[in-house]
Amino acid sequence: MTILSTKNLTKSYGKKTALANINMEIPRGRIIGLLGPNGSGKSTFIKLAAGLLVPTAGEITIDGDAPGVDTKAKVSYLSERTYLNDWMRVSEIIAFFEDFYTDFNRIKAENMLKDLNINPDDRLKTMSKGTKEKVQLILVMSRQAQLYLLDEPIGGVDPAARDYILNTIITNYKEEASVIISTHLIADIEQILDDIIFINQGELVLSSSVDEIRETRNQSVDGLFREVFKC
Amino acid sequence: MLGKLIKHETRATSRIFLPLYGALLILTIFTKLVMAIGAPDFFSEAASNNNNVAEIILGISFTLYFVLIVGICVMTLMMIIQRFYKNLFTDEGYLMFSLPVKTWELVLSKLLVGMIWSAVCTVMIFLTFFIFSLGTFSMIELSQTIRSAYSMFYLQTGMELNFFMVEMILFILVETVASILMIYVSIAIGQLFNQHRIVAAFGAYIVITIVMQIIMSIAMAVFAIGNLESMVLNGSEAMTTIQWLINGSTALNVVLGIGFYYVTHTIMKKRLNLE
Repeated sequence: MTILSTKNLTKSYGKKTALANINMEIPRGRIIGLLGPNGSGKSTFIKLAAGLLVPTAGEITIDGDAPGVDTKAKVSYLSERTYLNDWMRVSEIIAFFEDFYTDFNRIKAENMLKDLNINPDDRLKTMSKGTKEKVQLILVMSRQAQLYLLDEPIGGVDPAARDYILNTIITNYKEEASVIISTHLIADIEQILDDIIFINQGELVLSSSVDEIRETRNQSVDGLFREVFKC
Repeated sequence: MLGKLIKHETRATSRIFLPLYGALLILTIFTKLVMAIGAPDFFSEAASNNNNVAEIILGISFTLYFVLIVGICVMTLMMIIQRFYKNLFTDEGYLMFSLPVKTWELVLSKLLVGMIWSAVCTVMIFLTFFIFSLGTFSMIELSQTIRSAYSMFYLQTGMELNFFMVEMILFILVETVASILMIYVSIAIGQLFNQHRIVAAFGAYIVITIVMQIIMSIAMAVFAIGNLESMVLNGSEAMTTIQWLINGSTALNVVLGIGFYYVTHTIMKKRLNLE
């Protein structure tokens, strides 16, 4: 049932430790908020899961395998960078995704583009940063992946599109898939989260379900975040 | 997946090169036509039959031709560097490295497409020469010249020209692969740094060049000491020496190429450090 699991996962860049001894099990069918202040190790964790980085020590597995070609086919990763080629048209990028990812659903992508008023014949060069982020998110969410890794997915888009995107995330993923969203805009995504993971300075601070926080602590996730990470 | 990577790599590069080669072909044919109509003796001493206007046009178009050829050669090199650096180690790398493909497939797709464009560049230059010289020679003469070149070569060296050419082509091929891989390994080393990655890549390239120069000098010195006699001799013995040099360089480039590839691949797999 576990889609992602880590054992003493550690990543350091030279002398700087970005993640230290992280142990976690992420089940299927959940939307998980990976929350922490800037520089807490959120992106590093997601990059390790996406197979862009190799752990310094410990291990990370997705569906039982270490990150590699097999896991990349099951993981849909949205980086915090805009990684699309500027000279391409949206339709060309769709063809690119369709070619490399067998689980890519073209119709879904085209419908979402239509909903957000993005013309598939437009070149990315002519788009605003926010529109590019929308295109990227549409591509990532149009895959029938088993694990979605969304690194700061709503940072640059307007509140109206934000609602549409969150709605897409909830409705798009299959029951057996999980979504990990890293962000510090907690209030905006709180409503869709099932579980939360707080990390700070590379260490796991708290991992809990949102219901539990609300019931036992009588607090919102945003409130708890402010309390835990009080400066 | 390698095929798909090659397909998309070709697509991404041909949008730059196809217009350039189109322009080169049009310019070549235009120049040839002006030459044929207005100045048939442009390249010969007796310029009596030439039209002044045609000569000026030809002057301009040959300059353009030269600029275009140099431009295409420079672009080919730039493309080899830029596609590897920008597509894999800047923001675009986030997409490329999350595709379900093996690291060696990423390297090989870039290398093969770079090789193809280098080959296209060479072939196109010869093609334009051929177009320019159309009508100035006959096919019969040409084949006679080639045939006599073969027999001359055999007479002087006791060796088939074809055999020698195969060795030369192999040498050029391996040399090209090794020099592209040397660029790749420098870029891969450069991206290990958190700042000034391009400067670091150039630095790596210079250091590798210096180390290679030293190795080459030593190898040449050792080789020369053992073969002093044959170097001054003519004919077949000198040919043996030349063959030794060519095949030795090929072998050395194979070893270097494998080394460059191995380091590049290991860095990309284990020490990827995207911005």
